[in-house]
Amino acid sequence: MIIKGRIWKFGDDIDTDQIYPGKYLPLTDKSEMAKHAMEGTNRAEEFRKDLRSGDIIVAGKNFGCGSSREHAPVSIKEAGIACVVAQSFARIFRRNAVNIGLPIIQMREIGEIQDGDILQINLETGVIENLTSKKVYSGTPCSKLELEIMKAGGLLRYLKEAR
Amino acid sequence: MTIIEKIFSRASGNEVRPGDYIWAALDLVVMRDFGGPNVVREYQSYFDNNKVFDSKKVVITFDLHIPARDERVARNQNLLRKFAREQNVRLFDVNNGIGQHIIIEQGLVRPGDVVVGTDSHMNLLGGIGVAGFGMGTTDIAGAMFKGRAWFRVPTTIKVIVNGGLQEFVGAKDVILFILKKLGTDGALNRAIEFYGETIERMNLEQRITIASMVTEMSGDIGFITPSAEILQFLGLNTNLDGIVADPEAQYEAVYEFSVTQLEPQIACPHSPDNVKNVREVAGIKVDQVFIGSCTNGRFEDLKAASLLLKGKKVKSGVRLIIVPATMAVAQKALTEGLYEIFLSAGAVVTNPGCALCTTGHPGILAPGEVMVSTSNRNFIGKLGKGAMVYLASPATAAATAIKGVICDPRDL
Ligand code: SF4
Repeated sequence: MIIKGRIWKFGDDIDTDQIYPGKYLPLTDKSEMAKHAMEGTNRAEEFRKDLRSGDIIVAGKNFGCGSSREHAPVSIKEAGIACVVAQSFARIFRRNAVNIGLPIIQMREIGEIQDGDILQINLETGVIENLTSKKVYSGTPCSKLELEIMKAGGLLRYLKEAR
Repeated sequence: MTIIEKIFSRASGNEVRPGDYIWAALDLVVMRDFGGPNVVREYQSYFDNNKVFDSKKVVITFDLHIPARDERVARNQNLLRKFAREQNVRLFDVNNGIGQHIIIEQGLVRPGDVVVGTDSHMNLLGGIGVAGFGMGTTDIAGAMFKGRAWFRVPTTIKVIVNGGLQEFVGAKDVILFILKKLGTDGALNRAIEFYGETIERMNLEQRITIASMVTEMSGDIGFITPSAEILQFLGLNTNLDGIVADPEAQYEAVYEFSVTQLEPQIACPHSPDNVKNVREVAGIKVDQVFIGSCTNGRFEDLKAASLLLKGKKVKSGVRLIIVPATMAVAQKALTEGLYEIFLSAGAVVTNPGCALCTTGHPGILAPGEVMVSTSNRNFIGKLGKGAMVYLASPATAAATAIKGVICDPRDL
Protein backbone atom coordinates (compact mmCIF):
# COMPACT_ATOMS: atom_id res chain seq x y z
CA MET A 1 0.00 0.00 0.00
CA ILE A 2 1.58 3.27 -1.17
CA ILE A 3 0.53 6.57 0.34
CA LYS A 4 1.60 9.93 -1.05
CA GLY A 5 0.77 13.25 0.55
CA ARG A 6 1.70 16.60 1.98
CA ILE A 7 3.20 16.87 5.45
CA TRP A 8 1.86 18.51 8.58
CA LYS A 9 4.62 18.49 11.13
CA PHE A 10 4.04 18.22 14.89
CA GLY A 11 6.32 17.78 17.91
CA ASP A 12 6.73 15.21 20.70
CA ASP A 13 4.08 13.96 23.10
CA ILE A 14 1.03 15.08 21.17
CA ASP A 15 -1.58 13.66 23.55
CA THR A 16 -5.16 12.63 22.90
CA ASP A 17 -6.47 15.90 24.36
CA GLN A 18 -4.50 17.82 21.74
CA ILE A 19 -5.66 15.48 18.99
CA TYR A 20 -9.28 15.52 20.14
CA PRO A 21 -10.23 17.69 23.13
CA GLY A 22 -12.21 15.89 25.84
CA LYS A 23 -15.12 18.30 25.64
CA TYR A 24 -16.17 16.76 22.32
CA LEU A 25 -16.32 13.20 23.66
CA PRO A 26 -20.15 13.12 23.61
CA LEU A 27 -20.16 13.50 19.80
CA THR A 28 -20.98 10.27 17.98
CA ASP A 29 -21.24 11.51 14.38
CA LYS A 30 -17.90 10.92 12.68
CA SER A 31 -18.11 13.88 10.32
CA GLU A 32 -18.74 16.09 13.36
CA MET A 33 -15.72 14.57 15.11
CA ALA A 34 -13.59 15.33 12.05
CA LYS A 35 -14.16 19.06 12.53
CA HIS A 36 -12.27 18.96 15.83
CA ALA A 37 -9.21 16.96 14.77
CA MET A 38 -5.97 18.40 16.20
CA GLU A 39 -8.00 21.20 17.77
CA GLY A 40 -5.97 21.12 21.00
CA THR A 41 -2.68 21.82 19.19
CA ASN A 42 -1.22 25.24 18.44
CA ARG A 43 -1.91 24.70 14.73
CA ALA A 44 -5.65 24.16 15.15
CA GLU A 45 -6.77 27.14 13.03
CA GLU A 46 -4.44 26.38 10.13
CA PHE A 47 -5.25 22.70 10.24
CA ARG A 48 -8.98 23.31 10.06
CA LYS A 49 -8.63 25.74 7.13
CA ASP A 50 -5.88 24.24 4.97
CA LEU A 51 -6.13 20.50 5.48
CA ARG A 52 -6.52 18.57 2.25
CA SER A 53 -7.72 15.02 2.04
CA GLY A 54 -4.69 12.74 1.67
CA ASP A 55 -2.36 14.86 3.83
CA ILE A 56 0.03 13.15 6.22
CA ILE A 57 0.92 13.92 9.84
CA VAL A 58 4.57 13.60 10.88
CA ALA A 59 5.20 13.78 14.62
CA GLY A 60 7.83 13.13 17.28
CA LYS A 61 7.77 10.54 20.01
CA ASN A 62 4.83 9.15 21.96
CA PHE A 63 2.14 10.34 19.57
CA GLY A 64 -1.36 9.74 21.00
CA CYS A 65 -0.42 9.37 24.65
CA GLY A 66 -3.08 10.05 27.26
CA SER A 67 -6.56 8.60 27.33
CA SER A 68 -7.83 5.55 25.47
CA ARG A 69 -10.40 7.53 23.46
CA GLU A 70 -10.92 6.16 19.98
CA HIS A 71 -12.20 9.57 18.95
CA ALA A 72 -8.57 10.65 18.50
CA PRO A 73 -7.65 8.42 15.53
CA VAL A 74 -11.22 8.54 14.21
CA SER A 75 -11.23 12.35 14.03
CA ILE A 76 -7.87 12.41 12.21
CA LYS A 77 -8.94 9.77 9.74
CA GLU A 78 -12.32 11.35 9.06
CA ALA A 79 -10.67 14.74 8.60
CA GLY A 80 -8.82 13.21 5.65
CA ILE A 81 -5.39 12.35 7.03
CA ALA A 82 -4.05 9.41 5.03
CA CYS A 83 -1.29 8.30 7.38
CA VAL A 84 0.50 9.24 10.60
CA VAL A 85 4.29 8.93 10.73
CA ALA A 86 5.81 9.22 14.19
CA GLN A 87 9.01 8.42 16.03
CA SER A 88 6.86 6.34 18.37
CA PHE A 89 3.20 5.83 19.20
CA ALA A 90 1.48 5.39 22.53
CA ARG A 91 0.29 1.80 22.88
CA ILE A 92 -3.45 2.41 22.97
CA PHE A 93 -3.38 4.98 20.18
CA ARG A 94 -1.51 2.53 18.02
CA ARG A 95 -4.02 -0.21 18.71
CA ASN A 96 -6.98 2.10 18.10
CA ALA A 97 -5.50 3.45 14.86
CA VAL A 98 -5.02 -0.05 13.51
CA ASN A 99 -8.53 -1.04 14.61
CA ILE A 100 -10.21 1.85 12.84
CA GLY A 101 -8.04 1.52 9.71
CA LEU A 102 -5.88 4.63 10.05
CA PRO A 103 -2.47 3.80 8.51
CA ILE A 104 0.49 4.50 10.78
CA ILE A 105 4.22 3.92 10.53
CA GLN A 106 7.18 4.50 12.81
CA MET A 107 10.27 6.35 11.65
CA ARG A 108 13.24 7.63 13.65
CA GLU A 109 14.73 10.40 11.47
CA ILE A 110 11.87 12.84 11.21
CA GLY A 111 14.20 15.78 11.91
CA GLU A 112 14.94 16.61 8.27
CA ILE A 113 11.35 16.48 7.13
CA GLN A 114 9.85 19.93 6.65
CA ASP A 115 6.31 21.02 6.96
CA GLY A 116 4.75 20.97 3.48
CA ASP A 117 7.16 18.38 2.00
CA ILE A 118 5.64 15.59 -0.04
CA LEU A 119 6.24 12.06 1.30
CA GLN A 120 5.69 8.76 -0.39
CA ILE A 121 5.27 5.88 2.03
CA ASN A 122 5.32 2.18 1.36
CA LEU A 123 3.51 0.71 4.35
CA GLU A 124 4.70 -2.86 3.68
CA THR A 125 8.40 -2.28 3.12
CA GLY A 126 8.71 0.77 5.35
CA VAL A 127 10.49 2.74 2.61
CA ILE A 128 9.69 6.43 3.01
CA GLU A 129 10.72 8.84 0.26
CA ASN A 130 10.75 12.57 0.65
CA LEU A 131 9.83 13.60 -2.89
CA THR A 132 10.62 17.24 -2.07
CA SER A 133 14.17 16.72 -0.76
CA LYS A 134 14.72 13.46 -2.69
CA LYS A 135 15.91 11.69 0.45
CA VAL A 136 14.98 8.11 1.24
CA TYR A 137 14.41 6.76 4.75
CA SER A 138 13.51 3.42 6.18
CA GLY A 139 10.68 3.30 8.67
CA THR A 140 9.58 0.36 10.79
CA PRO A 141 6.53 -1.12 9.15
CA CYS A 142 3.67 -2.43 11.24
CA SER A 143 3.36 -6.18 11.81
CA LYS A 144 1.72 -8.26 9.11
CA LEU A 145 -1.37 -8.68 11.24
CA GLU A 146 -1.72 -4.94 11.85
CA LEU A 147 -1.28 -4.24 8.13
CA GLU A 148 -3.99 -6.72 7.22
CA ILE A 149 -6.42 -5.04 9.61
CA MET A 150 -5.52 -1.54 8.40
CA LYS A 151 -5.85 -2.55 4.77
CA ALA A 152 -9.24 -4.09 5.34
CA GLY A 153 -10.34 -0.67 6.60
CA GLY A 154 -10.32 -1.57 10.28
CA LEU A 155 -10.92 -4.43 12.67
CA LEU A 156 -14.66 -4.80 12.26
CA ARG A 157 -14.52 -4.90 8.46
CA TYR A 158 -11.65 -7.34 8.71
CA LEU A 159 -13.56 -9.65 11.02
CA LYS A 160 -16.73 -9.37 8.98
CA GLU A 161 -14.92 -10.44 5.85
CA ALA A 162 -13.09 -13.20 7.66
CA ARG A 163 -16.26 -14.93 8.85
CA MET B 1 7.98 -19.71 28.99
CA THR B 2 6.63 -16.96 31.22
CA ILE B 3 3.01 -16.98 32.36
CA ILE B 4 1.74 -14.70 29.60
CA GLU B 5 3.64 -16.72 26.98
CA LYS B 6 1.97 -19.88 28.28
CA ILE B 7 -1.48 -18.36 28.34
CA PHE B 8 -1.14 -16.85 24.87
CA SER B 9 0.29 -20.09 23.49
CA ARG B 10 -2.78 -21.95 24.63
CA ALA B 11 -5.20 -19.25 23.50
CA SER B 12 -3.63 -18.87 20.06
CA GLY B 13 -2.90 -22.52 19.43
CA ASN B 14 0.75 -21.80 18.63
CA GLU B 15 3.87 -21.51 20.69
CA VAL B 16 4.40 -17.76 21.02
CA ARG B 17 7.39 -15.54 21.77
CA PRO B 18 7.57 -11.93 22.94
CA GLY B 19 7.00 -9.54 20.03
CA ASP B 20 4.73 -11.94 18.13
CA TYR B 21 1.38 -10.69 16.96
CA ILE B 22 -1.32 -13.24 17.60
CA TRP B 23 -5.05 -13.87 17.61
CA ALA B 24 -6.12 -15.24 20.97
CA ALA B 25 -9.36 -17.07 21.68
CA LEU B 26 -11.30 -15.29 24.41
CA ASP B 27 -12.88 -16.93 27.43
CA LEU B 28 -15.01 -13.93 28.41
CA VAL B 29 -15.91 -10.54 26.93
CA VAL B 30 -17.21 -7.91 29.34
CA MET B 31 -18.78 -4.54 28.73
CA ARG B 32 -20.19 -2.06 31.16
CA ASP B 33 -22.73 0.72 31.36
CA PHE B 34 -20.06 3.22 30.32
CA GLY B 35 -18.51 2.27 26.99
CA GLY B 36 -20.94 -0.60 26.48
CA PRO B 37 -23.57 1.44 24.62
CA ASN B 38 -20.98 2.47 22.01
CA VAL B 39 -19.84 -1.13 21.70
CA VAL B 40 -23.43 -2.16 20.96
CA ARG B 41 -23.84 0.63 18.39
CA GLU B 42 -20.61 -0.38 16.63
CA TYR B 43 -21.54 -4.03 16.81
CA GLN B 44 -24.96 -3.48 15.28
CA SER B 45 -23.69 -1.18 12.56
CA TYR B 46 -21.27 -3.85 11.31
CA PHE B 47 -22.89 -7.12 12.27
CA ASP B 48 -26.61 -6.19 12.41
CA ASN B 49 -28.49 -8.60 14.59
CA ASN B 50 -25.98 -11.41 14.23
CA LYS B 51 -25.55 -13.46 17.36
CA VAL B 52 -22.50 -12.92 19.53
CA PHE B 53 -19.83 -15.63 19.30
CA ASP B 54 -21.04 -17.38 22.45
CA SER B 55 -23.84 -15.96 24.57
CA LYS B 56 -22.39 -17.60 27.69
CA LYS B 57 -19.09 -15.80 27.20
CA VAL B 58 -20.41 -12.28 26.96
CA VAL B 59 -21.33 -10.39 30.13
CA ILE B 60 -22.64 -6.90 30.79
CA THR B 61 -22.02 -5.21 34.13
CA PHE B 62 -23.43 -1.95 35.41
CA ASP B 63 -20.95 -0.36 37.75
CA LEU B 64 -20.29 3.25 36.91
CA HIS B 65 -23.33 5.49 36.70
CA ILE B 66 -25.60 3.42 38.89
CA PRO B 67 -28.47 3.93 39.40
CA ALA B 68 -28.76 6.04 36.24
CA ARG B 69 -27.85 9.60 37.12
CA ASP B 70 -29.53 11.32 34.15
CA GLU B 71 -31.71 10.64 31.17
CA ARG B 72 -28.88 9.97 28.72
CA VAL B 73 -27.39 7.36 31.03
CA ALA B 74 -30.84 5.84 31.59
CA ARG B 75 -31.33 5.49 27.85
CA ASN B 76 -27.88 3.94 27.44
CA GLN B 77 -28.57 1.45 30.19
CA ASN B 78 -31.84 0.46 28.55
CA LEU B 79 -30.03 -0.04 25.26
CA LEU B 80 -27.81 -2.56 27.04
CA ARG B 81 -30.74 -4.28 28.76
CA LYS B 82 -32.43 -4.69 25.40
CA PHE B 83 -29.25 -6.02 23.81
CA ALA B 84 -28.84 -8.49 26.68
CA ARG B 85 -32.38 -9.82 26.17
CA GLU B 86 -32.01 -10.11 22.40
CA GLN B 87 -28.64 -11.78 22.62
CA ASN B 88 -29.48 -13.82 25.67
CA VAL B 89 -26.36 -12.69 27.53
CA ARG B 90 -26.08 -12.14 31.29
CA LEU B 91 -26.49 -8.65 32.61
CA PHE B 92 -25.63 -7.66 36.16
CA ASP B 93 -27.86 -4.68 36.79
CA VAL B 94 -27.46 -1.71 39.15
CA ASN B 95 -27.66 -3.82 42.32
CA ASN B 96 -24.41 -5.75 41.78
CA GLY B 97 -21.21 -3.74 41.75
CA ILE B 98 -17.85 -3.54 39.99
CA GLY B 99 -17.70 -5.81 36.96
CA GLN B 100 -14.27 -7.37 37.47
CA HIS B 101 -15.18 -8.33 41.04
CA ILE B 102 -18.58 -9.65 39.97
CA ILE B 103 -17.07 -12.00 37.41
CA ILE B 104 -14.65 -13.29 40.05
CA GLU B 105 -17.40 -13.77 42.64
CA GLN B 106 -19.66 -15.47 40.11
CA GLY B 107 -16.93 -17.91 39.11
CA LEU B 108 -17.07 -16.73 35.49
CA VAL B 109 -13.29 -16.69 35.14
CA ARG B 110 -10.60 -19.18 36.05
CA PRO B 111 -6.83 -18.89 36.16
CA GLY B 112 -5.32 -19.09 32.68
CA ASP B 113 -8.34 -17.52 30.95
CA VAL B 114 -8.05 -14.61 28.53
CA VAL B 115 -10.64 -11.91 29.24
CA VAL B 116 -11.22 -8.54 27.60
CA GLY B 117 -13.46 -5.69 28.70
CA THR B 118 -14.13 -2.00 28.39
CA ASP B 119 -12.54 -0.98 31.69
CA SER B 120 -8.94 0.19 32.03
CA HIS B 121 -8.45 -2.02 35.10
CA MET B 122 -9.48 -5.39 33.68
CA ASN B 123 -5.92 -6.44 34.43
CA LEU B 124 -6.69 -6.69 38.15
CA LEU B 125 -7.79 -10.20 37.16
CA GLY B 126 -4.07 -10.99 37.02
CA GLY B 127 -4.33 -11.15 40.82
CA ILE B 128 -5.97 -14.56 40.38
CA GLY B 129 -3.91 -15.60 37.36
CA VAL B 130 -6.40 -14.48 34.70
CA ALA B 131 -5.11 -12.51 31.69
CA GLY B 132 -7.49 -9.52 31.69
CA PHE B 133 -7.14 -6.62 29.25
CA GLY B 134 -8.97 -3.31 28.97
CA MET B 135 -9.73 -2.26 25.40
CA GLY B 136 -11.57 0.26 23.26
CA THR B 137 -15.07 -0.05 21.85
CA THR B 138 -14.02 -1.35 18.42
CA ASP B 139 -11.93 -4.09 20.00
CA ILE B 140 -14.77 -5.20 22.24
CA ALA B 141 -17.33 -5.12 19.43
CA GLY B 142 -15.02 -7.34 17.35
CA ALA B 143 -14.32 -9.59 20.31
CA MET B 144 -18.03 -10.12 20.90
CA PHE B 145 -18.59 -11.11 17.30
CA LYS B 146 -15.56 -13.32 16.76
CA GLY B 147 -14.51 -14.46 20.21
CA ARG B 148 -10.97 -13.46 19.35
CA ALA B 149 -8.75 -10.43 19.78
CA TRP B 150 -5.29 -9.55 18.51
CA PHE B 151 -2.37 -9.02 20.83
CA ARG B 152 1.31 -8.31 20.77
CA VAL B 153 2.96 -10.80 23.11
CA PRO B 154 4.74 -8.73 25.76
CA THR B 155 8.08 -9.39 27.40
CA THR B 156 7.89 -10.05 31.13
CA ILE B 157 9.56 -8.48 34.12
CA LYS B 158 9.78 -10.14 37.48
CA VAL B 159 9.12 -8.29 40.73
CA ILE B 160 10.10 -10.08 43.93
CA VAL B 161 8.89 -8.71 47.25
CA ASN B 162 10.20 -10.12 50.51
CA GLY B 163 9.82 -9.36 54.18
CA GLY B 164 7.07 -9.09 56.76
CA LEU B 165 4.93 -5.95 56.80
CA GLN B 166 4.64 -3.65 59.79
CA GLU B 167 1.30 -3.07 61.46
CA PHE B 168 -1.00 -0.87 59.33
CA VAL B 169 1.12 -1.46 56.24
CA GLY B 170 -0.67 -3.44 53.54
CA ALA B 171 -0.92 -4.34 49.88
CA LYS B 172 -1.71 -0.78 48.79
CA ASP B 173 1.44 0.51 50.45
CA VAL B 174 3.46 -2.23 48.75
CA ILE B 175 2.14 -1.45 45.27
CA LEU B 176 2.54 2.31 45.75
CA PHE B 177 6.13 1.67 46.78
CA ILE B 178 6.70 -0.46 43.65
CA LEU B 179 5.11 2.29 41.52
CA LYS B 180 7.50 4.79 43.00
CA LYS B 181 10.41 2.54 42.04
CA LEU B 182 9.23 1.61 38.54
CA GLY B 183 7.39 4.79 37.51
CA THR B 184 4.25 5.29 35.45
CA ASP B 185 5.83 3.81 32.33
CA GLY B 186 7.93 1.22 34.15
CA ALA B 187 6.03 -1.71 32.69
CA LEU B 188 5.11 -0.24 29.29
CA ASN B 189 4.30 -3.02 26.80
CA ARG B 190 5.28 -5.57 29.41
CA ALA B 191 3.77 -8.16 31.68
CA ILE B 192 4.81 -8.45 35.32
CA GLU B 193 5.06 -11.56 37.46
CA PHE B 194 5.02 -10.96 41.21
CA TYR B 195 6.84 -13.30 43.56
CA GLY B 196 8.34 -13.38 47.03
CA GLU B 197 7.06 -14.30 50.47
CA THR B 198 5.24 -10.99 50.98
CA ILE B 199 3.15 -11.55 47.87
CA GLU B 200 2.67 -15.28 48.41
CA ARG B 201 1.24 -14.66 51.87
CA MET B 202 -1.37 -12.24 50.54
CA ASN B 203 -5.07 -13.07 50.51
CA LEU B 204 -7.38 -12.57 47.55
CA GLU B 205 -8.17 -8.90 48.13
CA GLN B 206 -4.53 -7.99 48.67
CA ARG B 207 -3.53 -9.75 45.45
CA ILE B 208 -6.21 -7.82 43.58
CA THR B 209 -4.95 -4.54 45.02
CA ILE B 210 -1.44 -5.34 43.77
CA ALA B 211 -2.53 -6.47 40.30
CA SER B 212 -4.94 -3.57 39.76
CA MET B 213 -2.24 -0.94 39.84
CA VAL B 214 -0.15 -2.53 37.10
CA THR B 215 -2.29 -0.26 34.88
CA GLU B 216 -0.65 2.75 36.52
CA MET B 217 2.76 1.41 35.48
CA SER B 218 1.45 1.12 31.90
CA GLY B 219 1.77 -2.66 32.09
CA ASP B 220 -0.32 -5.05 30.01
CA ILE B 221 -0.93 -7.37 32.95
CA GLY B 222 0.54 -8.37 36.31
CA PHE B 223 0.23 -11.96 37.46
CA ILE B 224 0.22 -13.56 40.85
CA THR B 225 -0.03 -17.33 40.60
CA PRO B 226 -2.89 -18.45 42.84
CA SER B 227 -2.04 -20.53 45.87
CA ALA B 228 -4.03 -23.62 46.79
CA GLU B 229 -5.96 -21.57 49.38
CA ILE B 230 -6.88 -18.94 46.82
CA LEU B 231 -8.21 -21.61 44.48
CA GLN B 232 -10.16 -23.18 47.29
CA PHE B 233 -11.56 -19.81 48.29
CA LEU B 234 -12.64 -19.23 44.71
CA GLY B 235 -14.18 -22.68 44.62
CA LEU B 236 -12.10 -23.49 41.58
CA ASN B 237 -10.48 -26.75 40.79
CA THR B 238 -7.96 -25.62 38.24
CA ASN B 239 -4.82 -27.28 37.08
CA LEU B 240 -2.15 -24.64 37.52
CA ASP B 241 0.25 -26.05 34.92
CA GLY B 242 -0.84 -23.55 32.29
CA ILE B 243 -0.14 -20.56 34.51
CA VAL B 244 3.11 -21.38 36.26
CA ALA B 245 6.21 -19.95 34.61
CA ASP B 246 8.87 -22.45 33.56
CA PRO B 247 12.13 -22.38 35.52
CA GLU B 248 13.99 -21.40 32.35
CA ALA B 249 11.55 -18.58 31.47
CA GLN B 250 13.22 -15.42 30.14
CA TYR B 251 12.69 -12.13 31.96
CA GLU B 252 13.58 -8.74 30.62
CA ALA B 253 14.40 -7.48 34.10
CA VAL B 254 14.21 -8.62 37.70
CA TYR B 255 13.51 -6.26 40.60
CA GLU B 256 13.83 -7.33 44.19
CA PHE B 257 12.49 -5.33 47.12
CA SER B 258 12.47 -5.80 50.86
CA VAL B 259 9.49 -4.27 52.63
CA THR B 260 10.28 -4.96 56.29
CA GLN B 261 10.95 -1.26 56.88
CA LEU B 262 8.16 -0.02 54.61
CA GLU B 263 5.99 2.72 56.09
CA PRO B 264 2.46 3.65 54.97
CA GLN B 265 2.72 5.18 51.49
CA ILE B 266 0.77 7.89 49.71
CA ALA B 267 0.73 9.04 46.07
CA CYS B 268 0.58 12.82 45.94
CA PRO B 269 -1.06 14.96 43.23
CA HIS B 270 -1.11 14.48 40.28
CA SER B 271 0.59 11.22 39.48
CA PRO B 272 0.31 7.71 40.95
CA ASP B 273 4.11 7.44 41.06
CA ASN B 274 4.56 10.65 43.04
CA VAL B 275 4.80 8.49 46.16
CA LYS B 276 5.99 9.55 49.62
CA ASN B 277 5.84 8.21 53.15
CA VAL B 278 2.54 9.32 54.69
CA ARG B 279 4.47 10.99 57.50
CA GLU B 280 6.20 13.28 54.97
CA VAL B 281 2.88 14.90 54.05
CA ALA B 282 1.04 14.39 57.34
CA GLY B 283 -0.97 17.39 58.51
CA ILE B 284 -2.32 18.49 55.12
CA LYS B 285 -5.97 19.39 55.57
CA VAL B 286 -8.49 17.31 53.63
CA ASP B 287 -12.08 17.96 52.58
CA GLN B 288 -13.08 14.45 51.61
CA VAL B 289 -12.00 10.84 52.00
CA PHE B 290 -13.09 8.01 49.72
CA ILE B 291 -12.78 4.33 50.61
CA GLY B 292 -13.71 2.01 47.76
CA SER B 293 -12.97 1.29 44.05
CA CYS B 294 -11.82 -1.88 42.33
CA THR B 295 -8.43 -1.47 44.00
CA ASN B 296 -9.59 -1.21 47.61
CA GLY B 297 -13.33 -1.82 47.85
CA ARG B 298 -13.39 -5.40 49.11
CA PHE B 299 -14.41 -6.65 52.55
CA GLU B 300 -10.89 -6.77 53.99
CA ASP B 301 -10.41 -3.16 52.90
CA LEU B 302 -13.59 -2.01 54.62
CA LYS B 303 -12.69 -4.09 57.64
CA ALA B 304 -9.29 -2.40 57.92
CA ALA B 305 -11.00 0.98 57.87
CA SER B 306 -13.63 -0.11 60.40
CA LEU B 307 -11.00 -1.14 62.95
CA LEU B 308 -9.82 2.46 63.09
CA LEU B 309 -13.26 4.06 62.80
CA LYS B 310 -14.85 1.99 65.54
CA GLY B 311 -16.21 4.28 68.24
CA LYS B 312 -14.73 7.34 66.51
CA LYS B 313 -16.22 10.24 64.59
CA VAL B 314 -15.22 11.65 61.25
CA LYS B 315 -13.71 15.09 61.81
CA SER B 316 -16.35 17.75 61.43
CA GLY B 317 -16.13 19.47 58.07
CA VAL B 318 -14.73 16.33 56.43
CA ARG B 319 -16.84 14.03 54.23
CA LEU B 320 -16.10 10.32 54.38
CA ILE B 321 -17.60 8.32 51.52
CA ILE B 322 -17.47 4.54 51.66
CA VAL B 323 -18.50 2.34 48.75
CA PRO B 324 -18.31 -1.45 48.80
CA ALA B 325 -17.06 -3.00 45.55
CA THR B 326 -19.95 -5.45 45.28
CA MET B 327 -23.24 -6.40 46.87
CA ALA B 328 -21.64 -9.49 48.40
CA VAL B 329 -19.10 -7.23 50.10
CA ALA B 330 -21.91 -4.98 51.32
CA GLN B 331 -23.86 -7.95 52.69
CA LYS B 332 -20.87 -9.19 54.59
CA ALA B 333 -20.11 -5.71 55.89
CA LEU B 334 -23.70 -5.53 57.09
CA THR B 335 -23.72 -8.86 58.92
CA GLU B 336 -20.33 -8.18 60.48
CA GLY B 337 -21.46 -4.84 61.88
CA LEU B 338 -19.37 -2.55 59.69
CA TYR B 339 -22.32 -0.40 58.62
CA GLU B 340 -23.06 0.35 62.26
CA ILE B 341 -19.49 1.56 62.74
CA PHE B 342 -19.43 3.60 59.51
CA LEU B 343 -22.80 5.26 60.00
CA SER B 344 -22.12 6.07 63.65
CA ALA B 345 -18.84 7.64 62.62
CA GLY B 346 -20.72 9.91 60.24
CA ALA B 347 -19.74 8.32 56.94
CA VAL B 348 -21.85 8.33 53.78
CA VAL B 349 -22.17 4.75 52.56
CA THR B 350 -23.55 4.33 49.05
CA ASN B 351 -24.57 1.42 46.86
CA PRO B 352 -21.82 -0.87 45.50
CA GLY B 353 -20.01 0.26 42.35
CA CYS B 354 -17.02 2.20 41.07
CA ALA B 355 -18.16 5.44 42.62
CA LEU B 356 -15.55 8.12 43.12
CA CYS B 357 -12.99 6.73 40.76
CA THR B 358 -13.79 9.06 37.93
CA THR B 359 -15.79 12.12 36.97
CA GLY B 360 -19.50 11.85 36.39
CA HIS B 361 -20.22 10.32 39.76
CA PRO B 362 -21.68 12.00 42.84
CA GLY B 363 -18.95 13.11 45.20
CA ILE B 364 -16.88 15.14 42.75
CA LEU B 365 -14.71 17.84 44.31
CA ALA B 366 -14.79 21.61 44.00
CA PRO B 367 -11.70 23.45 42.74
CA GLY B 368 -8.92 23.47 45.32
CA GLU B 369 -10.46 20.74 47.48
CA VAL B 370 -8.31 17.92 48.79
CA MET B 371 -9.24 14.25 48.91
CA VAL B 372 -7.52 11.12 50.13
CA SER B 373 -8.77 8.19 48.06
CA THR B 374 -8.14 4.46 48.08
CA SER B 375 -8.63 4.35 44.32
CA ASN B 376 -5.92 3.94 41.69
CA ARG B 377 -5.51 7.19 39.74
CA ASN B 378 -5.01 10.81 40.70
CA PHE B 379 -4.53 12.46 37.32
CA ILE B 380 -5.16 16.16 37.15
CA GLY B 381 -8.83 16.99 36.65
CA LYS B 382 -10.04 13.40 36.91
CA LEU B 383 -12.18 14.14 39.96
CA GLY B 384 -12.92 17.78 39.39
CA LYS B 385 -11.00 20.75 38.04
CA GLY B 386 -8.35 21.99 40.43
CA ALA B 387 -8.92 19.16 42.92
CA MET B 388 -5.96 17.61 44.73
CA VAL B 389 -6.16 13.84 45.07
CA TYR B 390 -3.90 11.63 47.18
CA LEU B 391 -3.93 7.84 46.87
CA ALA B 392 -3.48 5.69 49.96
CA SER B 393 -4.56 2.54 51.81
CA PRO B 394 -7.92 2.11 53.57
CA ALA B 395 -6.16 2.40 56.94
CA THR B 396 -4.48 5.68 56.01
CA ALA B 397 -7.77 6.93 54.55
CA ALA B 398 -9.68 6.08 57.75
CA ALA B 399 -7.06 7.70 60.00
CA THR B 400 -7.17 10.80 57.79
CA ALA B 401 -10.97 10.99 57.99
CA ILE B 402 -10.83 10.91 61.78
CA LYS B 403 -8.09 13.53 62.08
CA GLY B 404 -9.24 15.76 59.21
CA VAL B 405 -5.65 15.96 58.03
CA ILE B 406 -3.45 13.42 56.25
CA CYS B 407 -2.46 10.99 58.98
CA ASP B 408 -0.30 7.89 59.26
CA PRO B 409 -2.55 5.24 60.86
CA ARG B 410 0.25 4.49 63.34
CA ASP B 411 0.02 8.04 64.64
CA LEU B 412 -3.70 8.05 65.28
S1 SF4 C 1 -13.18 1.57 40.18
FE1 SF4 C 1 -12.39 2.86 38.55
S2 SF4 C 1 -10.69 1.76 37.64
FE2 SF4 C 1 -11.87 0.34 38.90
S3 SF4 C 1 -13.28 -0.66 37.51
FE3 SF4 C 1 -14.33 1.10 38.36
S4 SF4 C 1 -13.95 2.80 36.93
FE4 SF4 C 1 -12.48 1.18 36.48
